[in-house]
Amino acid sequence: MLEVIAYGLTIGGILYIVSIGFSLTFGSMKIVNFAHGFVYAVGAYALYAFLPVAKGNFVIASILAILASLPVSYVIEKFVIRRLYGKSIDYAIIASYAVLLIGVDLIKWIWGASPVPVSDPVRINVSLFSLDIPLYRVIIIGLSFIIFIGLSIFFKKTIVGKIVVAGLADREAVLSLGIDIDKYFAIVFILGSALASLGGILYGPISTVHPYMGFRIVTLCFAVVIVGGMGNLRGTAIASYVLGMVMAVTAWFWGAAADAMIFVVMAVVLIFRPIDL
Amino acid sequence: MLNKLGNSVIFAIGVIVVGFTVFAYSASVNKVTDFVIFCIYVLGFDVLYGHMGRISFGHTLYLGTGAYGAAMCAKYIIPDPFLAIAVGIGAGAAVGIVLGPIAVKTKGAAFALINVAFNQIGYFLVLVALASYTGGEDGVSLTFNSYGFVDFRNVHFLFSFCLASLVAIYYLMHRLYGSAFGAMLLGIKENETRVRFLGYNTSNYKWAAFIISTSVSAFAGALFVINYGFVNPGFMDPARNVEVIFAALIGGPGTEFGAVVGGTAYMVISNYLAKYITRWEMFLGAALLIIAFGFRKGIMGYVRELAEKRTRASATVKLE
Repeated sequence: MLEVIAYGLTIGGILYIVSIGFSLTFGSMKIVNFAHGFVYAVGAYALYAFLPVAKGNFVIASILAILASLPVSYVIEKFVIRRLYGKSIDYAIIASYAVLLIGVDLIKWIWGASPVPVSDPVRINVSLFSLDIPLYRVIIIGLSFIIFIGLSIFFKKTIVGKIVVAGLADREAVLSLGIDIDKYFAIVFILGSALASLGGILYGPISTVHPYMGFRIVTLCFAVVIVGGMGNLRGTAIASYVLGMVMAVTAWFWGAAADAMIFVVMAVVLIFRPIDL
Repeated sequence: MLNKLGNSVIFAIGVIVVGFTVFAYSASVNKVTDFVIFCIYVLGFDVLYGHMGRISFGHTLYLGTGAYGAAMCAKYIIPDPFLAIAVGIGAGAAVGIVLGPIAVKTKGAAFALINVAFNQIGYFLVLVALASYTGGEDGVSLTFNSYGFVDFRNVHFLFSFCLASLVAIYYLMHRLYGSAFGAMLLGIKENETRVRFLGYNTSNYKWAAFIISTSVSAFAGALFVINYGFVNPGFMDPARNVEVIFAALIGGPGTEFGAVVGGTAYMVISNYLAKYITRWEMFLGAALLIIAFGFRKGIMGYVRELAEKRTRASATVKLE
């Protein structure tokens, strides 16, 4: 059972790292950013591409991969989402979906349609309470907590974070103070995208890296946002770990049902939650 | 009576019947039957998107529900094509009744994705959970009974049946949108708060529209199964949702004729041009981007605009 908990925390940690950017875009603009899934996949594939360059050094390859994903998210923000936002939410969603489609095909073009192998970079198991778990997973759990604490400080203490939190609560009020809220949302958009590619990098070695991985993560992020509340930063964190646990427990009984179970939980939450999305 | 029908709908139905028949017998009856069925699916999708302003990114679920409903009926009850269609539509309606109240609580981005989530559950059900009945990844092949000339293996009969179905659905949709119910949907699309303020319970109307949409989509799914003679999880694959979205957008959302034009346009592109387009998803993505940025009214929107300009031009000429 401890093993299940450790697995759930690992999945939850990755879900948290990836969903935070998705949740912020959803909360600030009411847009489902499908392209978020593309950035996530770019992270995993860039890691695969940079590993030989970095001579197998995982940390350097990860940093290179995150840097490589930054221009991608910048272009998506600047030329697709920003230009359609405010004109039509429907078309912004469609355009971000189009970006995901183009991205999936680009990945297939460059790296082929079949999954590419990325192996566990640490390859050491640690013993915890008479249990053998890979150190890599412990690092992921630790990293997700560090990011959670770091983001909490960022949103509470820094001026950029405070403006974004205020903008999520009342956009017009912030605008009326003469603050260009869109600029700050753009900053957190890039930050969220960098975290998405980090999520892809971290998840690559424990699952499979394939072109359609972005589609899957978008729906999982959506479930997190529905359960945790749009643009609700603490809710996103709690929902990520809870859904990670749900996945781990379901996978313990029936591996194939893990994803479907997440959506069942989401539907149940939606039934009992009077939200106006 | 003819006047009541309105000249435009008769004209449109005439164009559809003549157009598809000429197309079928000059190209391939098999393929064009597919096109006709796909147009029914687009009409079902457009109930929600074009008329109620809710875009679903998981409509393949409802197509697949109809397909699997029809297939399961043919395999485990009796392989009667009409009963299979009825069961398919019934399954689609049932799914709409169950999921509708949850789905219509949301709008915009959340509605788009909640359908994807349901679609993922459905895909999992037919691919893994119910694999002992549905045949899992391989699906099941089926043969349907025939009664005299009512033979669905005869391509000419099948084509006529599907075309008649399209005409029937087209006419039903035309009547629906002309009714008070259609006006209600448009009101919800434009400003739901005001409609509620007028004292209407919009949830029930949205739910009803949702059920209509899922039933029509399921009808198309059942017809696909009869046309192909098999069913597999491809009918419910969430990755295929882009097809119907693309078709509805390119034809021009919000008009019945636009749905038919869009459905045909998509099928022509995917059947005849896909050979020359090596990067298919990239092509669809690029086309969707172009639509989102500068081709929002679709083909029908532009045709209508042209027609309006011409009438306006002739009106000014008369004034002078």
